[in-house]
Amino acid sequence: MEIHKDIEIVGLGLKFKDNLIIGDLQIGYEESLNKQGLMIPRFQLKDIMKELEKIFSKYKFKRIILNGDIKHEFGRISDQEWKDTLKIIDYLQQHGEVILIKGNHDTILEPIAKKRNLKTIEYYKEGDVIILHGHKIIPDLSKIIIIGHEHPAVSFKERPSEKFKCFLKGKYEKSTLIVMPSLNMLTVGTDITQANFLSPFLSGNLNNFEIYVVEENKIYNFGKLKNLI
Amino acid sequence: MEYLTKPYLEEELKEILHPFVKEWFFNTYKSFSKTQLYGVMEVHLKNNILISAATGGTKTLTAFLSIINELVTLADQGKLKNQVYSIYISPLKALSNDISVNLERPLKEIKEIAKKHGKELDIRVGLRTGDTTPTEKQKMLKKPPHILVTTPESLALMLASFKFVELLKDVNWLIIDEIHSLAENKRGVHLSLSMERLQNLSPYLARVGLSATVAPIEEVAKFLVGERECKIAQVDLVKKFDLKVISPVEDLMNITEEKLQHELYSLIDKLIQEHKTTLIFTNTRAGTERVVHHLKEKFPKNYTENIGAHHGSLSKKHRLEIENNLRAGKLKAVVCSTSLELGIDIGYIDLVMCLGSPKSVARFLQRAGRSGHSLHETVKGKLIVLDRDDLIECSVLLKNAIEKKIDKIHIPTNCLDVLAQQIHGMAVSDMWKEEDMFNLIKKSYCYKYLKKEDFIEVVHYLAGHFASLEERYIYAKIWYDEENHTIGKKGRLSRVIHMTNIGTIPDETSVKVKIGEVVIGTIDEAFLEKLKPRDIFVLGGSTYEFRFARGMTAQVIPAIGKKPTVPSWYSEMLPLSFDLAKEIGRFRRLIEDHFVNKATKKDILKFINNHLYVEDKAANAIYEYMREQYLYAMMPTDKRLLVEYYKDENENKNYVVFHSLYGRRVNDVLSRAVGFAISKLQKRDVEIGISDNGFYIASPNTIQATRALSLIKPEELRQIMDKAIDKTEVLKRRFRHCATRSLMILRQYKGNTKRVGRQQVSSMILLKAVRKLSENFCILKEARREVLEDLMDIENATKIIQEIKDGKLKVEQINTTLPTPFAFNLVLQGYTDIMKMEERIEFLKRMHNMVLAKIGKEHKIK
Repeated sequence: MEIHKDIEIVGLGLKFKDNLIIGDLQIGYEESLNKQGLMIPRFQLKDIMKELEKIFSKYKFKRIILNGDIKHEFGRISDQEWKDTLKIIDYLQQHGEVILIKGNHDTILEPIAKKRNLKTIEYYKEGDVIILHGHKIIPDLSKIIIIGHEHPAVSFKERPSEKFKCFLKGKYEKSTLIVMPSLNMLTVGTDITQANFLSPFLSGNLNNFEIYVVEENKIYNFGKLKNLI
Repeated sequence: MEYLTKPYLEEELKEILHPFVKEWFFNTYKSFSKTQLYGVMEVHLKNNILISAATGGTKTLTAFLSIINELVTLADQGKLKNQVYSIYISPLKALSNDISVNLERPLKEIKEIAKKHGKELDIRVGLRTGDTTPTEKQKMLKKPPHILVTTPESLALMLASFKFVELLKDVNWLIIDEIHSLAENKRGVHLSLSMERLQNLSPYLARVGLSATVAPIEEVAKFLVGERECKIAQVDLVKKFDLKVISPVEDLMNITEEKLQHELYSLIDKLIQEHKTTLIFTNTRAGTERVVHHLKEKFPKNYTENIGAHHGSLSKKHRLEIENNLRAGKLKAVVCSTSLELGIDIGYIDLVMCLGSPKSVARFLQRAGRSGHSLHETVKGKLIVLDRDDLIECSVLLKNAIEKKIDKIHIPTNCLDVLAQQIHGMAVSDMWKEEDMFNLIKKSYCYKYLKKEDFIEVVHYLAGHFASLEERYIYAKIWYDEENHTIGKKGRLSRVIHMTNIGTIPDETSVKVKIGEVVIGTIDEAFLEKLKPRDIFVLGGSTYEFRFARGMTAQVIPAIGKKPTVPSWYSEMLPLSFDLAKEIGRFRRLIEDHFVNKATKKDILKFINNHLYVEDKAANAIYEYMREQYLYAMMPTDKRLLVEYYKDENENKNYVVFHSLYGRRVNDVLSRAVGFAISKLQKRDVEIGISDNGFYIASPNTIQATRALSLIKPEELRQIMDKAIDKTEVLKRRFRHCATRSLMILRQYKGNTKRVGRQQVSSMILLKAVRKLSENFCILKEARREVLEDLMDIENATKIIQEIKDGKLKVEQINTTLPTPFAFNLVLQGYTDIMKMEERIEFLKRMHNMVLAKIGKEHKIK
């Protein structure tokens, strides 16, 4: 489904011309939970691969842009992160050029990137579009802004505990703002009908933001947030 | 099992007592109590024994007298060794303190007597709880106490400690106090395995259980000893009882809420003023706060510093202060939730008041027994009722209390989470042969029927076998050699993990609910998580609209008369016991017989009077209520399950009310099973509302509830319920508890403590992952068992379904335009849960269509 000119939702990612944009992967989340004393078995890598596989089976890309928070730990690289991030990068490189955008969790991503001769950047611009993680605002934005960071999800009154990953589309100042869901399959995300938002891009009134839920490979346009709350 | 039919003779006891002990005893008491005549000799002979008597029956001293006597004798002969002779376990930390004082006093006095005779007796008592400092523990190791006073958790800790285990190798007696309250929850299950581990170290251990009046007593005795021999002493104390049901007003029906509240507090005040010290039970924490608040507000002269609140959410310091002030006689009244039910000595109380039904006969007797604590005083308990359902329930409860028909407790069995924790404890302290470990576990009453495959599955889980080989080191907490069938410790941290994460009581935190700055009650953190702004919910009988939450406070505004939009929160509510519920059903039938036989009002009133021990006013109110139901529709009884269909035209909703008076635990099962059967036919979520007196199912569609009920086969109920609870909040919540007990979520890890909120989030992620491993993963299986067997009552629910199938319970269907009198309260209370039958994707599609329709409409208006 095209949600803006040249921008299409594919799976949990966005297709922009010949780029694939993917939200927060948060590799290493399970290991970090293990270290907090939660004995959770590990499925994350497998689940992410499955999601990506679905996209690549239908579309071809020139570039694959990882929009920040590729790994989970701040300030260090855990065992799982070393191993699994490299596995994912290797896999993605088979499908196009990989571009790593830095997120707030990615204070130390360079050593992994270097292993595959990749650079990390703050944002990626092409035409009218700027792609950045979204934890801070930078000067010189574009007409269309695509961010991750927020992990938006939505729930409905009838079943408050069931959440669905979703895309958001609204305005930031005069630009069009698109917020991507995370590709971290362990958690659904932050319920936008309930939450206080983290991203400075989302500090205004979101009532007119449009919601696109993605579930079982289908996209459901739920209209504006104010219709749900 | 052997019931002791007659007490020993005073002379026989005197013969076994050491002169010092005898001198002390008769300096202090005139004669042996009945309980002592039954129990002292058996303890002396080191027989296993369960002593059951009402509060104030000198049970504790009965157990200790023989033990002190033995120790004095040994000390006098210079044969007293540096070892633990006796362990005393109590469920309460505060109680341990209390007992320690009560035990130390007799000892001190006996030592003084010995001194007079030129003897020094060095008999030591030690207290070990979670609060014991490392220095004190070190001291204990050097100079072990002869009598060790502790809690179930601390015992388990000692069993896993290399050094302490050395002290536990020749223990003679194990005393379990308040065993009735331990047996019915997982603390008791945990303790049952600790007992076996202790017995394994000290083969000649004698077990002494002390219990309030309890049923079934033989099961509790078996819980104490497993398959071993055990004597049972049921000491019937001739206490005088003054128990009554009181209504604050004559007519509970035609009265405003305001007036009723006014009369209620006037009555409470009057009763308090007529007595020296009153103890009030409110069942809930919020209720406790409310009663104290209103008494102070309405009678500022009567209540100042002389009234106190006591419940689980208050600080330990505050609670101790209240307990001390009670003992010191400084308080006129203490209001508590249920927290003062257990046997801490709280001094002189001459009246116990229960606001609302105590929900079980045993519980009421336990509460009432807090008054007139000494042996020959009168036990005085008043049940204050606030509506007509309450009136009938309390009246039947009173009848059973007076006639000593005690409701049966439920003892959980085969709990795999507790098993995991105990296997871990055994593995960190020793190397085991698989077979030996299994056999030891099966000696516990709670694991008598444990299947070998369940045991092995738990061992596999602990050994991390659910993960791939290269990741296994992360998860393995024990070492398991499948070929040689041996089990042992694994990992440097294993022991620390055990020591810091032991226990079975789940962490819960409550959130304050405020209007502005005024606190109106508390809700559970888990409940808060479900609330959205503008949601209406029930708290302490009133409705409120949720505004927002900040940290641990929720801001609300009153929403008088509005219907709740979220399910009520019952975590705190006591369930009506099944046995008592059936008695109420029987009473309904007896009354119906009178109506059918056209008995006169006078005769019926006389019958109620005689049958229930209630006053005229109360009998009249019961009569009117029953008559309304009988004339308006039909009487539901223990032999007739009435199913009532009606449509709420305003809400455009169809209700089916089941008058299944079996208590909330059974109704939880029946409602969900019926709801599941219905929604399987209709593929839509249905709303369910549950109370002790029945349940309802509601939906905008027409509901074929009676047919759904008839489709449920008793042998399939378990399977249906496994599916029916699959998506519920309660399963998620209980899974968190089970995951924590089985050490899948560590509360304490590498020096960090995990908050409840964090545990909650973690457990959701964990549940999802565990389901990917297997829907039958042992800890998930245990969470289902806990929900169905412990929280709910699938056993008795199955019996009801069987009765329907056998035609012993007749199902009758009626249609009404307004809910019948008996259905009124149930429908009014709002719903408890929604049965989510629609698949996630179907639900999403329906929501989507709803939104599209809404948007479409708006466009048209524009």
